[in-house]
Amino acid sequence: MSLEASSDAVIAEGISKRFDSVTAVSKLSLSIRQGALFGLLGPNGAGKTTTLRIIMRVLVPDEGRLRVFGQHLTSSVQNMIGYLPEERGLYPRMKVIDVLVFLASLKGVPEFEARRRGRSWLERLEIGAWAERKVIDLSKGMQQKVQFIAAVLHRPQLLILDEPFAGLDPINAAIIKDIMLEMHDQGTTIILSSHRMEQVEMMCDSICLINAGQKVLDGELQEIKRQYGKNTVRIEYCGDENFLDQPAIIERINRHGAMVEAKLRAGADPQEILKTAVERGVRIRRFELVEPPLNDIFIEKVSEDHA
Amino acid sequence: MPKLWFVIKREYLTRVLTKGFIISTVAIPAFIIGIIVFQFFVAEKQPAHTQTIAIVDEAGQLGDLIESLLTKQKLPDGKPAFAVVQIQEQPRDPQELRAHLTTLTRTRRLSGYLWIPHDILAGERPQFVVRNPGAFMTLETINHAVTNAVIARLLQSKGVSVQNLSTLLHTADVRLIHLTPKGESEEKGQIYAVAIGMATILYGSLLMYGITTMRSVLEEKTTRIMEILISSIQPFELLAGKILGVAAVGLTQFLIWAVSAGLLAAYGLSMARTMGPSDSGFNVHLPPVLLAFGVLYFIGGYFLFASMYAAIGSAVSSEQDAQQLQMPVTLLLVASFFLFSIVMSDPNSPVSIALSMIPFFSPILMVMRIALQTPPLWQIALSLVLLALTTLGVTYASARIYRVGVLMYGKRPSFIELFRWLRYS
Repeated sequence: MSLEASSDAVIAEGISKRFDSVTAVSKLSLSIRQGALFGLLGPNGAGKTTTLRIIMRVLVPDEGRLRVFGQHLTSSVQNMIGYLPEERGLYPRMKVIDVLVFLASLKGVPEFEARRRGRSWLERLEIGAWAERKVIDLSKGMQQKVQFIAAVLHRPQLLILDEPFAGLDPINAAIIKDIMLEMHDQGTTIILSSHRMEQVEMMCDSICLINAGQKVLDGELQEIKRQYGKNTVRIEYCGDENFLDQPAIIERINRHGAMVEAKLRAGADPQEILKTAVERGVRIRRFELVEPPLNDIFIEKVSEDHA
Repeated sequence: MPKLWFVIKREYLTRVLTKGFIISTVAIPAFIIGIIVFQFFVAEKQPAHTQTIAIVDEAGQLGDLIESLLTKQKLPDGKPAFAVVQIQEQPRDPQELRAHLTTLTRTRRLSGYLWIPHDILAGERPQFVVRNPGAFMTLETINHAVTNAVIARLLQSKGVSVQNLSTLLHTADVRLIHLTPKGESEEKGQIYAVAIGMATILYGSLLMYGITTMRSVLEEKTTRIMEILISSIQPFELLAGKILGVAAVGLTQFLIWAVSAGLLAAYGLSMARTMGPSDSGFNVHLPPVLLAFGVLYFIGGYFLFASMYAAIGSAVSSEQDAQQLQMPVTLLLVASFFLFSIVMSDPNSPVSIALSMIPFFSPILMVMRIALQTPPLWQIALSLVLLALTTLGVTYASARIYRVGVLMYGKRPSFIELFRWLRYS
């Protein structure tokens, strides 16, 4: 991997960050290609936020090398990045539009232009009527939208979103998701961090799983899943569930209400499950051979590493 | 345009365009003027009624003289200041008499009573018993009367006959002439007034704007906007912008006060001219040189203290924690305020010189010395150099603490931890 490779938006080599006795990130290497929708995934406390802060040079790593768009992080590179932090906040006593203009001016957008773009974004997110109100008058959800606008107003080439859907209702989450996908289509590199893997695995094209400050695995999502093969059966059924009690074939079961995901043992034939179900009079409404969910891959990888 | 500019602009506008700024700009001088006016009209004219005083003269040799001296005193409205009752029944039991007079005083039938002991001419001290402990003005008048009576009796016993006490015992009233570089001026306390006034203004504004800076940093932390800010701008630029923005707010406030004070003074002067010439006024001169030094030391002191306050604000996560951690910084300011009586009593003593060199004190104490008695130029220069170097060092350290602190949430750090942050990369 070469630091000078221009097709990568972010390259990190062996970065580590310690806080006194706690190692938050340990020898992490990453490469995120330009235009990717990249998922940085892992449980709470895995080091996701620290990694993002290092990418933005909010924190300086203790060791390792980092390039963003092939450069050290300078003020002009900072202007190309948009950031939605996990812990959100705005100046409560400033007007919404003034906060947006101020934050955009710190990213080098002229005031007049920032005001125009700010208003059109507020309209698009259906809070245009609140532009002249103080931030403190807005609901939590509305403040989150303003915060998101602040991250994208200066048209960043790299958008970093830390838990962007936390605290959003489904309607607003869908709006934000649509805007993300639209920006992705326009070529913006997006880094999405989340501890809820099932929520983001549909969107991302490449991922990095981290745990306890260390990389568990990374790469193109399709490639990763292909490696693991279609070893999971998704079943929806009506009747007694004891047809699933086949330890010789099924290694593990995840229940999601009416639907279960059964992970097969290596070399097991999924037809066996179907056969047993039919014999026992269970009505099958859905039976699908799928790639394993990211969650399972993560759990498997982590337990492998610990073994 | 540099990003620093936008930080200054936001800091300035969000502070100046608030009701709080307008209120404090109007209210602070109004409050100070109010106190002065109150003192002038109310406190000064406190004993506006005739006070009834009993005199017990054990030896019976001074009572008449004191009575005649006291009854000559007049209130501003022309009524006598004192009505004197002399207790003549000497053989009575002194204990009983005292108890009786005390009761009369407690029940407000008497304002107080003066007890002249038998051996007063040999130096025994008389007593003035009152209900109101704040009767300093009354005490001064009575002290004067008793002293004069004692002197008169002593002269009499040496064979000097005293016809007219007041011609004999008038106060010489020594005038204090202060040598200034331009000549002489009569000192009626105006130099002290200027020195104390400047020290108080410096102390108040360093404290007020220092704490404003701390609050402003803390607000960005508690609202969590800090993380967005430092992903857009270097922490040092953010810190500098904040300090400069608050300084601009302070200078705006001073400018408003200075201009309105100037207008008021001009108005007062023109009024005085129409009333006719008068040279007995309390003439306050504020030399431009002194004002320039005042501004210079304010700027130095402000950067020194504001950067320390900003570091404190960055290190904590709540107002309560800030209150505790800021104590040592505030104490430095309070200390210089209390030390100024030392400087005032002798501005050129070795202690005063040393204190005015210490950078944490010089913004207040050196300005006082300049106001009182211009020190040698090398001393001013040395204190300014020391102040500038310390300010640079402290600002650098504060910026390093700030850079680490702004992302630290949770428990209030100790001072040892703050020092450890200095070494973080």
